Amino acid sequence: MQEGGREAGSKAGCQCSGCGTNGEDTFLNPTPMLDELESGPWPSFVSGFKELAERTKKPMLRGVLDQLEYSYNTKMGYWKGGLVTVDGYGAGIITRYSMIKDKIPEAAEFHTMRIQPAPGLHYTTEMLRELCDIWEKYGSGIITLHGQTGDIMLQGIEQDKVQECFDELNQRGWDLGGAGAGMRTGVSCIGPGRCENACYDNLKLHLNALKHFSGQVHRPEWNYKLKFKFSGCPNDCTNAIMRSDLAVIGTWKDAIQVDQAEVKAWIDEKGVDALVNEVINNCPTKAISLKDGGMEIETRDCVRCMHCLNAMPKALAPGKERGISLLMGGKNTLKVGVNMGSLIIPFMKMESDEDIEEFLELIEEIIDWWDDAGLDHERIGETIERVGLKQFLEGIGREPDINMVSRPRDNPYFKAKY
Amino acid sequence: MPIEVNGASYETDENGYLVNLEDWSEDVALKLAEGEEVEMGEGEWELVNFLRNYYEEFQIAPAVKVLTKAIAKERGMDKKEASEYLYGMFPKGPALQACKIAGLPKPTGCV
Amino acid sequence: MSSSERTWKTIESGPHTYEEALHPVVRKNYGKWKYHEIPKPGVLKHVAQSGDAIYTVRAGTQRQDTVDMVRSLCDIADKYADGHLRFTVRNNVEFLTPREENVEPMIRELESMGYPVGGTGNCVSSVSHTQGWLHCDIPATDASGVVKSMMDSLYNEFKDMRMPNKVRLSTSCCSINCGGQADIAVVVKHTRPPRINHDHLSQICELPKAVARCPVAAIRPTVVNGQKTLMVDEKKCICCGACFGACPAMEINHPEHSKFAIWVGGKNSNARTKPSTMSIVAHNLPNNPPRWPEVTETIGRILTAYQKGGRPWERVGEWINRIGWKRFFEETGLVFDEDMIDSYRHARTTFNQSAHVRF
Repeated sequence: MQEGGREAGSKAGCQCSGCGTNGEDTFLNPTPMLDELESGPWPSFVSGFKELAERTKKPMLRGVLDQLEYSYNTKMGYWKGGLVTVDGYGAGIITRYSMIKDKIPEAAEFHTMRIQPAPGLHYTTEMLRELCDIWEKYGSGIITLHGQTGDIMLQGIEQDKVQECFDELNQRGWDLGGAGAGMRTGVSCIGPGRCENACYDNLKLHLNALKHFSGQVHRPEWNYKLKFKFSGCPNDCTNAIMRSDLAVIGTWKDAIQVDQAEVKAWIDEKGVDALVNEVINNCPTKAISLKDGGMEIETRDCVRCMHCLNAMPKALAPGKERGISLLMGGKNTLKVGVNMGSLIIPFMKMESDEDIEEFLELIEEIIDWWDDAGLDHERIGETIERVGLKQFLEGIGREPDINMVSRPRDNPYFKAKY
Repeated sequence: MPIEVNGASYETDENGYLVNLEDWSEDVALKLAEGEEVEMGEGEWELVNFLRNYYEEFQIAPAVKVLTKAIAKERGMDKKEASEYLYGMFPKGPALQACKIAGLPKPTGCV
Repeated sequence: MSSSERTWKTIESGPHTYEEALHPVVRKNYGKWKYHEIPKPGVLKHVAQSGDAIYTVRAGTQRQDTVDMVRSLCDIADKYADGHLRFTVRNNVEFLTPREENVEPMIRELESMGYPVGGTGNCVSSVSHTQGWLHCDIPATDASGVVKSMMDSLYNEFKDMRMPNKVRLSTSCCSINCGGQADIAVVVKHTRPPRINHDHLSQICELPKAVARCPVAAIRPTVVNGQKTLMVDEKKCICCGACFGACPAMEINHPEHSKFAIWVGGKNSNARTKPSTMSIVAHNLPNNPPRWPEVTETIGRILTAYQKGGRPWERVGEWINRIGWKRFFEETGLVFDEDMIDSYRHARTTFNQSAHVRF
């Protein structure tokens, strides 16, 4: 058992001391609404918070639980933003002041430090324990793993402890994530770390790209936020296409690699019906046909959707000529409605350091264009839609490619050069 | 938490921004700068005055990008140098510290 | 601490390095994996070209964790996974080990600590969700509580693999939907224009910025009691809440009028069909803490119908595309209404521009 840890066998559910009892000798005030979230089989964050509060006796935790209970009763939120940073940075701390500190003074400040994890969210226990020890020393001890942008979120610190906490984290290799109108923290799937479908080293590209744009992570000065997500293949396990301005998705150019012996083994096990119903009929472009009791893929018809590879992981593998597609402009609902990223670079090799450099130069050019053409609070996808894809391509010096559209325009309204 | 300047008291919020924007004066600015550990030299005043003029004209604080570009043009720097110059004067960010000293409203929001 | 006392000079290092965090078997076979299997729910087996195999045990977490919980996960990793662990983008924790014999004891220990082992293959995954009343400055609800309540009822669906394909859920505390697109999403729906605090507005908001934030030009400058402030053309307002983020004096949240809507059919994977965005299928559900039973009940109806009617590999949206929206509403018992007809920017693309009819 670690210092500050708890007995093995104690529950993430609701078996901790003090939960649900609120007896006279507990540190916490009664929270009957929140206590309702301690029953049931799914791990309870309320139990976790209460257990932490009872062990550490940190007043901030008691205040936060009181304020959360108050919110559950009144059905309103009570945090307002503010501005706290560390030296040299204009972003990375999400500032929260209580609007009801007269009622609940113990949670007057509850700031979050966004910390950039390793690409792929890999940890050693040493890294995590160190992070926990530093965080318990300066902050509340609440951690979100992970925020929607991909950060470790250390939640609950007072302004006068932020700099010291950051300095200690920074000495151990941790840096703040992004916030505001700048480059944001990136996200990667597990990639070549475990997945047979990884078409490029997304962890390496992620690390290089975010290091390259470190200045813009820490000192936001663009129109609005810009997010990278790195998925190893078109299954897009990081939701890059919808959740990032710059979706870097692995793909390949040549034929899917087929191991006919494994195809046969698959059919022997599951039957021809399954091959037809679950694989061939699900191919979106009818690129697969039955042949001599096995399967044949017409590569020119294949759109690299991943379905047959998902269905037959032992028999099929992505082709050998691998790289990335870049899709741009994904964002969620705010203002204009959901935008899906759209294809900007159909294929780019991503093997050598030179490939990475070329990629980053391209991104620099794209950002320069957006910096000039974009409006305040406008995501890059909105800028491209407003200004025009053709104008965007001109701006970054790329030739149009039929893969960038699902079909040519259906109206004649353009000025031709001739 | 109010600040005292020349015997008068001015209300500020928890981040030290003036609650009433009309309370601003150069002496108040000096007091606010003191709290930020910013020494007001020629460059700092130039920026603060730029912000105040911009706010007066447009009723908004300029985007940092506008600020960086203006500095870059004025001083013949590239954007990166301009950004470093700004953070050199206001290490916790021009948007945060310079706006505060200039008596502008606190920048808001994370979305 | 004043900066003059500070001795450490910041290193702008960016993301933490990952190489030392990879399990040694992962490092050895990096980029050289051959295939994977799912021996049982919650367990993955990946085989490398070298013949090495690595087992992954996956468990759900509450996402709003504490140092104590993280340390207890580290204890598991030290005991069974050579001191390595990782997380998925849907808040699951994963322990990788080359030793098959570690798998069952690890599952038993995780379960005894209250962490459900599952989240693989054709299951209902952990919920991608937002911060809510715990930390956000603009939330109408508390996603963590909604998620806890929902996952209590979907516990077995997380641990089993009984769905036609994977089901990804998300929950968001305002209409911006930071929880993201999903097969089924629970998202707050504002139903009234913002309430304006004229006493504060001009002091805390930059007026032109709030005006510019409105996507339908419904905000106009005005003067109230001699103060410059803003007004909202309530006929134009679409209750999106975008102005609230720019101007905290334009309160969009309301204890009764902020409701929940349920959305279905989002998919980011390119497999089979192109990625798709979600459609609204229920709204006007109450924001009802602490356990939001109406939300859980509606999600259950959709999942029951999908589980019953979906064919192998069909995601929720693909299932609906096959059976049609009419049958979707019939089989879930939800009711299509006029508010579900799109009236925003791309509305026409959602109309049925064909003579295809279902009876």
